Amino acid sequence: MHAVEIDGLTYTYPGAAQPTLKDISLQIEQGDFLAVVGNNGCGKSTLCKVLNGLIPHFITGTFEGKVTVGGLDTLESEVAELARKVGYVYQDFENQIVRPTVLDDASYSCLNYAFPDYMERGKTALRQCGLEGRENEYVWQLSGGQTHLLALAGAVSLQPDILILDEPIAQLDPMHADRIYEVLRDLNENHGKTILVIEHHTEYIADYCKHVMLMKDGRVRWMLPTGEALQRVEELEGCNIFPPQVTQAAYALRKRGSLPADAPLPTTVEKGLKAFGSLRYIPGPAASAPERGGETAVSFQDVTLSYRSVKGEPRTVFQGLDLDIRKGERVALIGSNGAGKSTLMKLMVGLLRPNAGTVSLFGEAIGEKRAEDLSRQISLVYQNPEEMFIKDSIRGDIAYAMEVRGIPDWQERTDALLSRFRLTGLQDRDGRLLSGGQMRRASLAIGIALDPGVLLLDEPTANLDIATRREIMAVLSDMKDIIQTAVIATHDMQLVCQWAERIVVLCGGKVVADGPRDTVFSHREVTRLVGIRPPEIFTMAQALDQRALCYTVEEFLDRFQEG
Amino acid sequence: MEKLTKKLSENILDKFSMDFLRSQVLKNAYGNDDTVIAALDPRVLLAWYLFFGLVPWFVNDIPFLLGCFLLVMVTTLLARVAGLVLFLFALGVFTQTGYLFLVTLLFGGDASAIAPLLVLTLKVATISLASVTVFSGLDPDKLSNGLMWYGCPERLSFSISYAYRMLPMLMEEFQNVLLSYRLRGNPPAHETLGGKVKYLIYQVKIVMQSFYPLMLNTAKRSRTTVEALELRGYRYAAVNKSVKKLKLASLKITCNDGIFLAVSLLVVAVALLISTLL
Amino acid sequence: MSITQKQTATQSQKLMIFVLSMSLYGLATLFTELIPSFQVGIVEFSVEFFLFIPLILAMLFDPLSAALGAATGELVFSEIMLGQFGGLGELEKFLTVTIGVYIAGRLVKDPKNRAMVGVAAITGTAAQLLMGTVVDILKVQLAVEDFEAVAGLPESVFATEGFAFLNDLLFSGILFCLLPTLYLVPKLYGKIEPLLGMAPRTPDSAVSGISPKALIVCAVGFVAAIAAELAATAGMSLVDWEAEWAGNGTALALGMVAAAVIAIAALLIIKRNVEKKAAVK
Repeated sequence: MHAVEIDGLTYTYPGAAQPTLKDISLQIEQGDFLAVVGNNGCGKSTLCKVLNGLIPHFITGTFEGKVTVGGLDTLESEVAELARKVGYVYQDFENQIVRPTVLDDASYSCLNYAFPDYMERGKTALRQCGLEGRENEYVWQLSGGQTHLLALAGAVSLQPDILILDEPIAQLDPMHADRIYEVLRDLNENHGKTILVIEHHTEYIADYCKHVMLMKDGRVRWMLPTGEALQRVEELEGCNIFPPQVTQAAYALRKRGSLPADAPLPTTVEKGLKAFGSLRYIPGPAASAPERGGETAVSFQDVTLSYRSVKGEPRTVFQGLDLDIRKGERVALIGSNGAGKSTLMKLMVGLLRPNAGTVSLFGEAIGEKRAEDLSRQISLVYQNPEEMFIKDSIRGDIAYAMEVRGIPDWQERTDALLSRFRLTGLQDRDGRLLSGGQMRRASLAIGIALDPGVLLLDEPTANLDIATRREIMAVLSDMKDIIQTAVIATHDMQLVCQWAERIVVLCGGKVVADGPRDTVFSHREVTRLVGIRPPEIFTMAQALDQRALCYTVEEFLDRFQEG
Repeated sequence: MEKLTKKLSENILDKFSMDFLRSQVLKNAYGNDDTVIAALDPRVLLAWYLFFGLVPWFVNDIPFLLGCFLLVMVTTLLARVAGLVLFLFALGVFTQTGYLFLVTLLFGGDASAIAPLLVLTLKVATISLASVTVFSGLDPDKLSNGLMWYGCPERLSFSISYAYRMLPMLMEEFQNVLLSYRLRGNPPAHETLGGKVKYLIYQVKIVMQSFYPLMLNTAKRSRTTVEALELRGYRYAAVNKSVKKLKLASLKITCNDGIFLAVSLLVVAVALLISTLL
Repeated sequence: MSITQKQTATQSQKLMIFVLSMSLYGLATLFTELIPSFQVGIVEFSVEFFLFIPLILAMLFDPLSAALGAATGELVFSEIMLGQFGGLGELEKFLTVTIGVYIAGRLVKDPKNRAMVGVAAITGTAAQLLMGTVVDILKVQLAVEDFEAVAGLPESVFATEGFAFLNDLLFSGILFCLLPTLYLVPKLYGKIEPLLGMAPRTPDSAVSGISPKALIVCAVGFVAAIAAELAATAGMSLVDWEAEWAGNGTALALGMVAAAVIAIAALLIIKRNVEKKAAVK
């Protein structure tokens, strides 16, 4: 029996002119680990909501066709019945957690469906999701990754045959992302669950998934075994899906004639090692160390900061932190979830005051300045752009800071910013109703409206699909001329490698590494300790030749030639 | 007192740290789950509250009221209630009766007004402390289970635990929205008195306006939450009797509950005894 | 084959509005609890500073869910969380807020019509405040036994409550309820509905005005709010102990003390036994 069978499904949201899903027919095998890919708005999430019965039982609309999940026809079954067959983890998973403590939340569904052994079931689910020993903790004590695991545990607790996860690792550092996928693999292989993930990170697809399904414009283009699917580089890129960097490199090499045309493209580093065996490393010119010196923009001196905690001792985030950021630098701030990246940024804008030590901006202590005066010198773009939209149109949002300060030509400047970020056509829309990439662009425009001396960006590429991420990276490099000093906190190592001049690694409230990318990434001890991971292509190059330091596919192609 | 009020209202955005508020509320809810009061059965405590929250209204006997007041004061101390809550309690008692006293004097009342008002103050204080003990001393889940046992609507008990779950998130969001205004806004200078008034008006306006983004952002959240609740069987459970039974199975009356009730009875009885002897 | 299951959809939409209204208004009242009073002289401005939130939601969505959500939010966030739960008084507030918001929500047929929104906002606020004032006066009257006898007290209570009502309505009601509502309703209309997956309210889809049935429900609610207070008077005669004590009060009290002491002793012994058993195990 197939886990999922869909026959001729067409679905239109209420009030929508076009169907979101068009004539879909497919079967998913029991025990499959399937990745669903496609660009934003192609109907991936909608399809998943069809599987758990939210459509059409909860979200109305026009529904045609037949969907059978675990032998149940979704039209004839209750959502409650289907929930025991299909577990679902949302992209904004924190809103899915409704109880204050871990065990409570994990066992909540079982309690609601009146299982007498609901506590046991909750505990089992927590064990399966690697949250053993945290049963009695409160939800807000968990890190982002653990919260995600808890949302998963909540879904697993009913022991459904099918699990659906919508972008499970979008906000996680590589270590936590690995954890999630290891848990999923365990559930798949040892507990016989069928798993569906909506995923943009093709590296993870290559490592973990068995099949890939490509969706475009509400239709299923194909469903293939992973190895085969990732070979279709052009087609994937046409849908804004970028295959693993190793595959991209191999594809370019094949085009160049360096690799045989009939051999399959490698999808992982191990496979790449075989495929690229014939290549030789050609050392390039040594990277010149960037000049250090110049005026200090932001300076942390012996900063100590701790948070009040609900119970017991306050939690110390920084202990005696020293850090200087000079004018004109492009700094990437990296470290695992909870290492204090966002806290450091909050200190820089004066939102948090250190318990001891000073944070100064252009030579003046931040404590002395009023937050409102700071805004011309420093600006922070939040991780969640929605919190930056305080007006009812993005034009109003971009203009706001200039308008209230009575900057003479604020109208013209707003127009200029709108066109620079390609937002002119959208200027009267509310920011929240835009797509992910448009939201990011708008938030960047808001951030630089006052021409701040220092621009801080918190996770500017989180939650974006790869195409939008590329777009934001292009915008960032485009902004190099107007912003002198910029600091980015991020997990996105491709962004770090392409953009940053200097990388600061935070771990346990301390700076454990600081320098240009070559220094940081060749320092194996640090990368292992902190759990940061260089881009896949860097690992590939290192595996081929210890001396090679390649950060982008282009660099890789330059440095490795046919022997 | 007035100074304090002034200070609080003067600088809503500056003085009033959301972090502080959040930590106090959470501390109040979960920071004291190892106290004697927290270990009691919620049903017993609610019944206890029914007595101390109602009876003092109807009794004017001073020794009795004093006895009750002393008892609830001790239980409040035992519950290790957060400082903010006690401050609010004091403020509440003052605004309910203290100012009424001032008004009475103003309208030509004299010392004869003091005695009934003193009794009123004692009543208000006793009832408030009784509620502080029960509602701050118990953790929210126990409280909602207790209420459910007494037949309160399911939605109320769900709301209580959900509110505690949501509060940290909501506050963080609100804080970030306020921060947006603070970083990008341009408040009037507030050195002079006129400036201060303007600044206050500006701040009030900002708080009001910040509910525009907050409403939209929360709307997005609650959609996911309600969908997830549907999947997690919330509505299914609401109509299912056995679920309620399961939830309430964890409630158990122990010896401590009996002792707690007996001690309370003892205090009340002694107070009555004294009152009859006087 | 196509299906549209109206019933469940509206059910869940109501829950969504309830949750939304509860979280937002609850959060807001948590702050009002902390900004205790804008006192000008002796008059306390006891207006619900953030009543505009449920008012707006009631005008845009299902009025009853928004109203109940707001009242629950206030109860849970500011009363229970901060330990400010005041028994009967809360029931009264719960009901008056619900009724006020509900009336306002029912009055608005077309959220785009500014005049309609304004009238509804001020009517809802006035209804809520008026009910609150009536109950407040009753409350003081009941609590202070010889209310009429105390010189100056009745006049002062009526004067302050009356003045506070007018002041709240004209000053705070306009500033904090009318203006924010007028400002926000048009801004939110058409934007917040799609986020919740609903269609915006139009004159055709709106539940039409105040029906007699709704009026009756409101009246019953208000009577219940007063009844909470009247129950107190009735209760007073029920627990009118003082007359009884006059005779054999001392003996009764002594008996209670003895009973309590015996109960404590017995329970302590039982507890020790239980603990011993547990220790042996």
